[in-house]
Amino acid sequence: MVQVLVRLLPPLGLTMVLSITALAIATPLGLALGALRAELSDRHPAARAIDAWVFFVRGTPILIQIFAIYFLLPKLGLQPPLFVMGVGALVLNSAGYQIEIGRAAVKSVPKGQWEAALALGFDRQATLRQFILPQAARRMVGPMMNELSQLIKASSVLSVITLFELHKAAEAISSANLRFSEVIVVEGFLYFVFIFGISLIASALERRLSASGALAGAGSFAR
Amino acid sequence: MIFDWVAFFEYFPRLIRAAGVTLQVSLLSLGLACLLAPLLALARLLGPKPLRSMAQGMIEVVRGLPPLVIIAFAYFALPKVGVVLSGFWCGVLALGLVGAVYAAEIIRSAIESLGCGQLEAALALGFARWRAVLEILLPQALRRILPPLTNEFANLIKASSLLSVISVHEISQVGQSLIFETFVVIEILVQMAILYLIIIGSVTILSRRLERGLGA
Repeated sequence: MVQVLVRLLPPLGLTMVLSITALAIATPLGLALGALRAELSDRHPAARAIDAWVFFVRGTPILIQIFAIYFLLPKLGLQPPLFVMGVGALVLNSAGYQIEIGRAAVKSVPKGQWEAALALGFDRQATLRQFILPQAARRMVGPMMNELSQLIKASSVLSVITLFELHKAAEAISSANLRFSEVIVVEGFLYFVFIFGISLIASALERRLSASGALAGAGSFAR
Repeated sequence: MIFDWVAFFEYFPRLIRAAGVTLQVSLLSLGLACLLAPLLALARLLGPKPLRSMAQGMIEVVRGLPPLVIIAFAYFALPKVGVVLSGFWCGVLALGLVGAVYAAEIIRSAIESLGCGQLEAALALGFARWRAVLEILLPQALRRILPPLTNEFANLIKASSLLSVISVHEISQVGQSLIFETFVVIEILVQMAILYLIIIGSVTILSRRLERGLGA
């Protein structure tokens, strides 16, 4: 049991690095595109492109998205290392969901906030940056943290492209020593600790933000 | 890179048959989830203390694990305790459990979102606690439950793609083996995506209809 645990620690590290790298890229990308999408009219070509991305990501399993990257990139003459493909697939997936989070959060800020800021003589961009986004940011924290634990769970699917993250490593170990239940219990324990830890941090963060209104002060977040 | 229509139509029938398996697995696990979820939710809300913490523990654990791990558990660990199921039924069991846990949280939060006034009023009128929940709270909560539940169903369909690792012949598994057999990549990937988009798209449309119909 302990032996298995020790052998699974480095792959757990890879799972962590994969999901945190992907999150670090997908969050700014997704939220920026989401805020942009909230601003654009439905007919705008950029809006259509963003909608198509979201439609594809939400309408297909992540397995298909991973296959798409794994099989299509070589067809296009690109052969990036597996790690890059894995992060790419997670970013493709997660950013798609985060666009929706960002868009919904920006849309959920009451219209009066827009009108007040515009009436005070701010232009649209400054209004968005200094008034709307700080308020939207608070509403995003909950769904974002959810998205992080979804992302960690999704990283297990990268095992199908032989990326040696936690699930792939557990699979390899158990098919070598044939002690399936033991290895799966250890693997599950590691995933659970990681994801449960994240969700504890998430709820603490959420409570603090809603209590102190740290991000609510206009401008303090944007600059 | 040219799109090969001949290959496209040559392999399409096999993938359509696989889509049938995807639908079967998803519907069966949805059925299982719909049976288990209310029990879990009620155990969490109404059950005596030990039952309540058991239900909560189960929900936390299943939500904290990737579905892939749960599927692997059903397939590799259950035979060790003497339960031998085919890949198909392992998949139904695993997905049903995952779906039930998420649905139980949806039901619980919908009932809790009604506010305590409803429950207090029912109790004041002399309803027993369980009757108040079943006859007063649950029907009201149903309007809030259905839209997120259809969402959960779409997630279940997407998760069914993971059953390819335990060799259930659904869309992803068949598509993947076709790709390795024929090296026809783009056409098959497009087919897989189209089939999923059709299935999940129709669930999404259904969900929007329901939302509008219920006036939630």
